[in-house]
Amino acid sequence: MANFLFYLMALGAVVGSLGVVGSKNPITSILSLLGTFFCLATIYLLSGFQFLAAAQILVYGGAVMVLFLFVVMLLNLGNPDTSAAPDFIGKRRVPIAIATSICLALLTFIGVLGQGDVQAGNASLAEVDTITGLAELLFGSFLLPFEAGSILLLSAAVAVIVLAKRERSQADKPQTSDTGEAVR
Amino acid sequence: MITAILSQDLDIQTVTSAAWIGGAPMLCVTFGIILALLAEVIPTLAAARPLAFVGSLLAALFFELALITDPQGLIFQGTFRADSASSSWGALFVTAGLLSWLYSQRYYKLEAPFKPEHDILMLCSVLGMMLMAGAEDLLTFFIGLEVLSVPLYALASFRRVRNQSVEAGLRYFLLGAFAAGLFLYGAALIYAATGTFRLEELREVGIHSKLGIAGVALMASALFFKVSVFPFHFWVPDVYQGSPTPVTTFMSTGTKAAAFAFLFKIAFMLPESSAGTLAIISLLTMVVGNLGALVQTDLKRLLGYSAVAHAGTLLLAVTASLVGDPLPDGPLDAALYYMAAYVFTACGAFGLIATLEGDGERFTRIESLRGLGQRRPVLAGALSIFMLSLGGFPATGGFFGKYFVFSSTLRADMMFVSAIGVLLSVIALGYYLRIIMTMWMQPAKKDVPIPSAYRPSSSFATGMCVFFVFALGLAPGWFLDRLL
Repeated sequence: MANFLFYLMALGAVVGSLGVVGSKNPITSILSLLGTFFCLATIYLLSGFQFLAAAQILVYGGAVMVLFLFVVMLLNLGNPDTSAAPDFIGKRRVPIAIATSICLALLTFIGVLGQGDVQAGNASLAEVDTITGLAELLFGSFLLPFEAGSILLLSAAVAVIVLAKRERSQADKPQTSDTGEAVR
Repeated sequence: MITAILSQDLDIQTVTSAAWIGGAPMLCVTFGIILALLAEVIPTLAAARPLAFVGSLLAALFFELALITDPQGLIFQGTFRADSASSSWGALFVTAGLLSWLYSQRYYKLEAPFKPEHDILMLCSVLGMMLMAGAEDLLTFFIGLEVLSVPLYALASFRRVRNQSVEAGLRYFLLGAFAAGLFLYGAALIYAATGTFRLEELREVGIHSKLGIAGVALMASALFFKVSVFPFHFWVPDVYQGSPTPVTTFMSTGTKAAAFAFLFKIAFMLPESSAGTLAIISLLTMVVGNLGALVQTDLKRLLGYSAVAHAGTLLLAVTASLVGDPLPDGPLDAALYYMAAYVFTACGAFGLIATLEGDGERFTRIESLRGLGQRRPVLAGALSIFMLSLGGFPATGGFFGKYFVFSSTLRADMMFVSAIGVLLSVIALGYYLRIIMTMWMQPAKKDVPIPSAYRPSSSFATGMCVFFVFALGLAPGWFLDRLL
């Protein structure tokens, strides 16, 4: 039963992520992403990581998704002109077919290789899946990567500002009538 | 309730004094990032911005140099190793950061308001490199890789008004994300095969199962992408050409050094039978890089292909360590020396292009260098020295770098491979000498204006580069005794 559920959820995650990149409507993309997150959370749950599953649903399924949807709806991207949108798959059938077959071959190869080779990890579930256990891992064994992760987020924030913000010299100029255009 | 939680006896070891000392360079850089960010917000601190950048990197350099002679071993619960190798690599990253920063002064015109963010991103990137070089488990390394890459994606497309730059950033981002995916997949397979992420435990257990070897292959591919060797090198010329030149300076030296630092660390995972494949990959890389560089007309593209060729030579050192150099640290020391020479040479060469470039793109073509020897003899002289060093001319650092790498491959009984490698290095001289000839022997075109940009910071940086290129070429013993 658990095995069946795992395969179902794994399939759901793959289909969901294909929907994210394949769909032309951003809202459909986001909802597919939500489905992927849900499937992943179920896989975590099946593996015994209840806390991680809950965090996945709360943080990604809840907060991040709401932000995505909010931004898409605010910018009014929900109703694209599909005739003008480039047909991504149509022009690239051969490369996509090659890439997919390589990926499938790799997966089969590894699946065949992996028979009986898989070792159990040395971190036991009971240790990880409590708040205390997580805290010990984050602030003990993995203190350095955890702290470095904060720098990673910080640098990502600065990078986004560099890429997205308008020139300061222009922004400082007083805006006249066409404020809506300037904001965009 | 709260006291009950607080009084719970958490099994968390406090950060030891060794961890403070070993982590000091990273702490310095982190402080630099925080100071630079604060200086952005608080107007009275605005003057402290360059101070925060240079000060933090100089302090980090000081600690790295101190750590070379006083290694701290495994710290942070075994996730980081501050030994002499990681500190030597760290010193190189800091140097690359400082030199590119010096060359970036007054380089940007339109983007000048974003210079503080530029500096902050560069500091973050240096921090990521330090993490990569010292990482003792795959998780720490991966975080380091991302801390290195994410700022670089933004830096590559820093000149947003130019399509080329945006394209370079996007290309680097897409391929970088792909490489990150490969690395994670590989790491997951290694975990599945051995049940651990820690290099220490992996060394004990060894990787024998086919599943684990598939993981190592995927991980190595991700690193090959970062160091730009043969099948994974296609992004290099485009990204190097499109990125702002100071960023290219940093990318070509720092990123490559960081990925090689970790490649040496995980070389023990590669099965010995893969040595032949590695040797073939290195030779093919050298062929592709050198032949590609021969036909280029754009200076930055040419140096991009030359960077690919240099990565091939460095990969030979990794191969030598796999085959078994009788000197245990021989290949690593050779690679460090090679990289040290390369950092100063490539920083100088790219930096001089940045200086010439000024605002326009006029001086990135080789033919625009015509007559530079008569018009700006000092600059042309410095550029010639860097070209000779890139080609491995005696009396420059590049010569001893190549000498140490090839003597290491010879010690490992790879006669044939070394011979072809040396031959390919000679081909490389062809395009380096072409640049020198263009500068000194061909008259300038009438309508080409004289590059006039004089910047004290880049002159200082060029002076440093020239000094160290000669120092590494004339007194290799001094560096080998003290720094390796």
